[in-house]
Amino acid sequence: MSGFDTLPSAWMVWDGPAPATGGAVLEQTRALDKFLADIERRAFRMAQVALRDPDDAMDAVQDAMLKLARNYAARPSAEWRPLFYRILENAIRDLQRRRSVRKRFMVWLPGPKEDPDNEAQDPMETVADGGTPVPERLMQDEAMQKLESSLRALPARQREAFTLRNFEGLDVAETASAMGCSEGSVKTHYSRAVHTLREQLGEVW
Amino acid sequence: MSEETLDPAISALEERSRALFEDSVAGLDMGTRSRLTQVRHAALAAADASAGRRWLMRMPVWASAAGVTAAALLGVALWFGGPLHPHGQMAAADAQSKFEDLDIIAASDESSGDAMDMLQDDIDFYAWADKTASSEPTA
Repeated sequence: MSGFDTLPSAWMVWDGPAPATGGAVLEQTRALDKFLADIERRAFRMAQVALRDPDDAMDAVQDAMLKLARNYAARPSAEWRPLFYRILENAIRDLQRRRSVRKRFMVWLPGPKEDPDNEAQDPMETVADGGTPVPERLMQDEAMQKLESSLRALPARQREAFTLRNFEGLDVAETASAMGCSEGSVKTHYSRAVHTLREQLGEVW
Repeated sequence: MSEETLDPAISALEERSRALFEDSVAGLDMGTRSRLTQVRHAALAAADASAGRRWLMRMPVWASAAGVTAAALLGVALWFGGPLHPHGQMAAADAQSKFEDLDIIAASDESSGDAMDMLQDDIDFYAWADKTASSEPTA
């Protein structure tokens, strides 16, 4: 028996994707560009709903984009969306954890307390694209603020299930993949989230 | 979304919240859009940079083994056949002596007339020696 006979056959045989050629890499980069361009704004808003702070939301999106591009760009493009949102939700959770630790630490320090909600912003940066009349715009903004507050009050898993399914339009299987749980858990989290939101926002909302 | 929720109030909540969310996405300010574009470009650059490394890491095992074997064979060949090795020095010396022999042969070919004279001298010598030996009385 030769030495090679003792080696597992899976070790000897390459069954992964063929090495990408220059043209294939270019095609893949284009596809990834299109995918990221399609989801970047919704991903940012979802992160902002969870984190409130736009800089934190941008950090989370940046982290998710970089990790997806570095580690999963060679995977089939159909897998990108659940993978991206899984990375994004992990980044959001990390930032929330870091923020809670920072808050706990800041309590014991003297000096002005940091309040991200009252940070001064450049008014020109907050100018949105026109199109909607101002009173209607204000009503929509107010309704969205109520929705965001209610979403933030939800447990993290319920918020994730609701935003991934309702905002991003992932199906149950994709949401389960993004959340790293079973499809049954997704349905449970989603149902609880919807009913809680209904109770909090009321009939008039 | 609402395939399992048949309650119209729940469906209305889902639709309203989705519409508000899409509206807020469409209303993102230019500064945020610009930053998102920059972040995307940075991610794509990172993907390009890691594509080369990924290709190297995912080379087939047999290809890596063949490369290592070829490199080993080349190393052995250089070691035993190279000019720095003692065997190589000997081979070089042999080649040098062969060239010298060739020079001598070539030189003797060029002076073939002299060689014939030398051969003639030898014949004369052997004839004289033979005559001398036969003419001397035995003691």
